Amino acid sequence: MALKSEKQTWETFLRRPSDLREGVEIPLVLRDLSPGRNKYAMRHAVAVASRKPQDKENMDLLHVRTVVGVRLPETWGVKIVRDLPTELPGKPYHDFYEALKKAAATGA
Amino acid sequence: MFKDTRDFIEALRAAGDLQEIEKEVDWDLELGAISRLACEKDGPAVWFKRITDYPEDRTAFANPMATWRRVALAFGLPAESSLKDIYAEYEKREGKLIPPVTVKSGPCGEVVKCGADIDLFDLPAPMLHDGDGGRYLGTWDIAVSRDPETNWVNWGMYRFMVYDSQHLTGFPRPTSHFGKVFQDHYAARNQPMPMALVIGADPISHFAASATYHIGGEEAALAGGLRGAAVELVRCETSDLLVPANAEIVIDCEVLPNSVGLEGPYGEYPGYRTGEMGNGIFCRVTAITHRKNPILTIDATGYRDDSSTITALAGAVAIKRRLERHGVPVLDVNIPREGAVHMAVIGVKYGGKQVACEILEILTSRRALISKIILVEPDVDVFDMGEVFHAFSTKCHPAYGIHVVHYEGRANTLTPCYSQGERAAQKGATVLYDCTWPGEWSREWEVPVKATFETIFPEAVRLKVLKEWKAYGFKE
Repeated sequence: MALKSEKQTWETFLRRPSDLREGVEIPLVLRDLSPGRNKYAMRHAVAVASRKPQDKENMDLLHVRTVVGVRLPETWGVKIVRDLPTELPGKPYHDFYEALKKAAATGA
Repeated sequence: MFKDTRDFIEALRAAGDLQEIEKEVDWDLELGAISRLACEKDGPAVWFKRITDYPEDRTAFANPMATWRRVALAFGLPAESSLKDIYAEYEKREGKLIPPVTVKSGPCGEVVKCGADIDLFDLPAPMLHDGDGGRYLGTWDIAVSRDPETNWVNWGMYRFMVYDSQHLTGFPRPTSHFGKVFQDHYAARNQPMPMALVIGADPISHFAASATYHIGGEEAALAGGLRGAAVELVRCETSDLLVPANAEIVIDCEVLPNSVGLEGPYGEYPGYRTGEMGNGIFCRVTAITHRKNPILTIDATGYRDDSSTITALAGAVAIKRRLERHGVPVLDVNIPREGAVHMAVIGVKYGGKQVACEILEILTSRRALISKIILVEPDVDVFDMGEVFHAFSTKCHPAYGIHVVHYEGRANTLTPCYSQGERAAQKGATVLYDCTWPGEWSREWEVPVKATFETIFPEAVRLKVLKEWKAYGFKE
């Protein structure tokens, strides 16, 4: 369990680079990279992400992976604003990211 | 015949096809890397005895049938059996179904976790490849589901990823029997579908689950026929689905009709991690039951994984049967291991454009998992890839011997060469390379004569040469 003052490290997957907008609230799927046997547990959240060094100082770390799983070299900062439900409303076999956006927009 | 994974492990140990690793191995990539390299080296199955973060009663067994030796052993054949012999044995057994029997209890229910006690992280699901979407608990598994209208029970082998302590996501393709039953009979009515994810049953039950089998066919009966003995089934903890009683682990779930989660990307059987991500199903776990000291079974998916043998074998025979039913003059079908279940070599009595196009139509009409077909005549042994390559290089006309069919809504979205747009639309194509002589060519005047020992010399000369071979000074 990380202490409150410690930065937590998260990782997200994106379909395209434009899905990670800077400085605004966006829905993200985050997986927890804290070591231990619960590593890689998933979380749905609305968060703000930034590449600016001054912002990153007060944010958790965020690694970004592409749709084919390649980790991008740049590390972002991320601040979770609110959680979205784990059982996210959506249609099976249809785009998860659309469901994530919809949940964020409707305040689910 | 093996009653469970443990029996099979003993047999592999006796045959020298098992590597037991006592040294602690990290579930986070190290286990996957070892298992992957073992596949690529055609190495033994691997039993991991100590796994980081987990007590010693949690072990993992990887690559159960990833070599033809282990497939042969699982079928009770000599380990050295030829590929042709293994195919022939499967063909002999696959038509003899033995229905399963239900028993009151079994080892798979020795430990039961329900409600708040459910924690998927109690099991050492590995992060198999760097960059996968998550830890895949279901790789060498059997997903059991039932059609509520006909009571048909379907077994399939599909990937399932740990989402959090009580949820899984998975990717049984939407075109799979599982996907079809779920969409038509549960999601359409906004009802959750009960599913049992079985891990570590006897090896032939897993083989049957991965087999290409017809809609309405019960893989449990296929497994019984292939084993020569009925599979013993027991009721699940929280649903009335029946699962192999001797399985190591059973995860009871509900596949939710109205929820989604991130699934994938994942380093899959074609040997690549494609961008197939976020289009799967979402499951709520209702119970976990397991044997004491449960063994988590794993297929280290990728190039030359377990599917390169078992899915290929069952798929090839299924193609043969399907073509036979349609009256195609098929002789044999081989899905070569290195073709990653994307290429089939089909041997026919005679070929030509009409036969080629008929084959393409038959094999792509519902779902199209094979994207390359090589069509050969009886002069080529479909199991001898040297002969196949020779025929492809010499007999396939580069302009007129290539036939392509395009389709949408039923392509294999895991096929690496498809673009992200094609993947999203399930759009793809299958090509057939016709390596047969045109039917209208005269055998006497036009068909080239093959210049091999068997085909270009008179019988008397061949017999003499064979008889005198050692007398000429040759050793072999």
